[in-house]
Amino acid sequence: MQNEILFTVLALIAIVSSIVMISAHRPIDSALSFIVTLISIAALFGLLNASFLFVVQIIIYAGAILSLILFIIMFLNIKDENLPDEKYKNRWLLATSVIVAPFSAILIDLILRSDIATNSVPSESFGGIKDVGLMLFSKWILPFELVSILLLVALVGAVTLSKRSE
Amino acid sequence: MLKAYMILSILLFSIGIVGLISRRNIIVIYMSIELLLNAVNLSLIAISADLAESSAQVMSLIIIAIAASEAALFMSLFVVLFRNRASLDANLFNILGGKK
Repeated sequence: MQNEILFTVLALIAIVSSIVMISAHRPIDSALSFIVTLISIAALFGLLNASFLFVVQIIIYAGAILSLILFIIMFLNIKDENLPDEKYKNRWLLATSVIVAPFSAILIDLILRSDIATNSVPSESFGGIKDVGLMLFSKWILPFELVSILLLVALVGAVTLSKRSE
Repeated sequence: MLKAYMILSILLFSIGIVGLISRRNIIVIYMSIELLLNAVNLSLIAISADLAESSAQVMSLIIIAIAASEAALFMSLFVVLFRNRASLDANLFNILGGKK
C-alpha cells in the first residue's frame, strides 16, 4: 500500500516537471525542472529495489550531466535575444500532443491488455552493486569494453569540436 | 505494479517526443532526448525488478554511459554553434541543407 502511494506521488512529480521542462521558455527553467524529473525517476529506481542504479542515476544524471548543462547555460551567457522567438510555441506543443496521443494510447491499451506481470520474488542481494557488478563483468563484458571505446571517442570528439579552427 | 511503471514510462516517452518535435531551442531538444533515454531506463528497471533478473540493470547502466558521452558531445556542439550563430534557434543551423 505504501509503495503504491509513493509511486503515485513520484509519477505525478515526474510527469508535471517534465511537462514544465518541455514548455518553459528560458533554458535555465527547463534544466532546473529536468533535475526534479531525474531525481523522481531515481526515487522510482529505489522503489524497484535497484539500489545501485539509484545511486548511479543521482550521481551521473542529476550530478554530472545536469550540472554540465547548467554550467554551459551560464557559460554561454544567454540573453533573451539569443533565444528563438517561439511565437506559436503553445500551438506547436498542442498540435504535436494531438499527433502523439493516439500512439501512446495504443501502447497503453496494449500494456493493459497484456498478461506481463509475473511477480517473482527477488533475492536479498538483488539490484545491489555485487549483483550488477557480477553480471557486468561476466555476461556483459563485451558491451562494457565497447562502451569504454565509445567514451574515448566521445572525449576526442568533444575536444576536436570545440577547438577553434584557424 | 509492472503495468503502472510501463504506463508511466510510455507517458514520459511521449512527453519527450512532443518536446523533441515542437521546440526550437536546442538545449530543450537535448533534454527531451535525455528524457527519452530515462523513460526507456525506467521500463527496463521495472521489467528487471519484476522478473528478478539483473541483465536489464546492466543494460540501463550502459544506456546511462551512452547518455554521458552524448552529453559531452552535445555540450561542445552547443559552444561551437553559439559561437558561430549567437543563437540557440535550431532553425538557423541549416548549413548542411544547401543554398536557400
